[in-house]
Amino acid sequence: MPGVEQLTFIDLSLYSVIFLFVLGFIGGLVSGFIGSGGAFVLTPGMMTLGAPGAVAVASNMCHKFPKAMVGAYKRYKYGQVDLKLGVIMAISAAVGVLVGIKIQEFILAAWGEAGSNLYISLAFVVVLVVVGGYVFRDAMKLKKSGKEAGTTKLAQKLQSINLPPMIHFKTANVRISLWFTFPVGFATGMLAATIAVGGFIGVPGMMYVVGASGLVSSASELVIAFIMGFTGSVKWGILGMIDIRMTLLILAGSLFGVQLGAIGTTYVKDYMVKFVMGAIMLIVAVSRGLAIPNYLTQLELMSVSSGILQILSTVSYISMVVALGTGCVIILGAMFKGIRAEKAAAEVPEGTSYQEMKAS
Amino acid sequence: MPKLARQKRKKALRNAIGFGLLTAALYAAVFMNQGTVMTYFTKGGMYAALPVLTAFIFSFAHGAFAGNFWSAVGIEASKKATRVKLPATKAAKRVRPRPRAQMSV
Repeated sequence: MPGVEQLTFIDLSLYSVIFLFVLGFIGGLVSGFIGSGGAFVLTPGMMTLGAPGAVAVASNMCHKFPKAMVGAYKRYKYGQVDLKLGVIMAISAAVGVLVGIKIQEFILAAWGEAGSNLYISLAFVVVLVVVGGYVFRDAMKLKKSGKEAGTTKLAQKLQSINLPPMIHFKTANVRISLWFTFPVGFATGMLAATIAVGGFIGVPGMMYVVGASGLVSSASELVIAFIMGFTGSVKWGILGMIDIRMTLLILAGSLFGVQLGAIGTTYVKDYMVKFVMGAIMLIVAVSRGLAIPNYLTQLELMSVSSGILQILSTVSYISMVVALGTGCVIILGAMFKGIRAEKAAAEVPEGTSYQEMKAS
Repeated sequence: MPKLARQKRKKALRNAIGFGLLTAALYAAVFMNQGTVMTYFTKGGMYAALPVLTAFIFSFAHGAFAGNFWSAVGIEASKKATRVKLPATKAAKRVRPRPRAQMSV
């Protein structure tokens, strides 16, 4: 691949080490809870440390699949992972990734780097606002009504259509034609190839199109992430672009975070996954929206001074971190609330007789 | 804290220390040999196995450390949500001694 010989791998300072660890932890925590999400903070994060874009993407991928594996294993033990669903989705996602990459190459050739960045940012904003808005509204409705999430009308309709082969997903408790899983998986892969996070379509797709619960969808997404991350890492490894030091530093934080996130899911109601996911998607949409004037200026479709563009760029990145930080605060808050409640319920001293307990 | 929970936490602490030392050794090995590591790990081609396998090894060691760490400090999955439903069992048959005729003289 041209230009590989000129690649530089950055020197790591103490600041970089701590920065990558903390970012890894936050990304891991969110991933463990909603099934996806660390990539768009980690990749730009590594680039702000000076790593070339391709190295950042490669190193992030190489951390993604082990993190997803650990998260998926933990949530599998909690009975939330539908392995069959994850694997079947991963197959169509792989096709989606290939098509997504081809489209990126075409746009890069036609409109250059600025055009490519504009396309990516527009994809971010449109998908995140539309899907994130829907997910967030759904979460608020469930929170208000206090009812358990039901299957959407669309999912019910699709499940009722008998188009062989029909697949029974045991953990998700869904029986649906294999053909209807393809668009969801395909879109997941396409989005992953475009903005590096496929789960923002994958998880809502599994929830609203296939009809799985929020917990099962986010857990099974980790299986897709593992498979796609592994194949992507092999590809990047063959190109010699993985900076294993950055990968390991991110892993140091994210393996703490992803397990904590997984534990957190056992203390919350199903709508909480939707709430956190929707909130993060909407804030990130704003963040990416702030980056658009930069690309429009580069393409001479707009004229903004470089000083303002610099400010927008900084605010854009900070708001990205705020998005994930907000998610972390919500997750940890809900988790500790649940832990306290369970501990209080179990607070019956040993040896208390029945009469003593009744009297207390 | 009930005795069983105390024992579990002690075991998690022991495991955390063990895996923590292993992980620390692995990280030291990589970062004290950055030059050599980066030369081989970015050679490309078949050498792709190096970063990929390394990621797997670290995820097992460090993943175990992190998991045991959370258990040792008392942060674990909700018992309610992850309780395994045991199949209903029939009460064991009580064995009563056969009544024997006693004669007291």
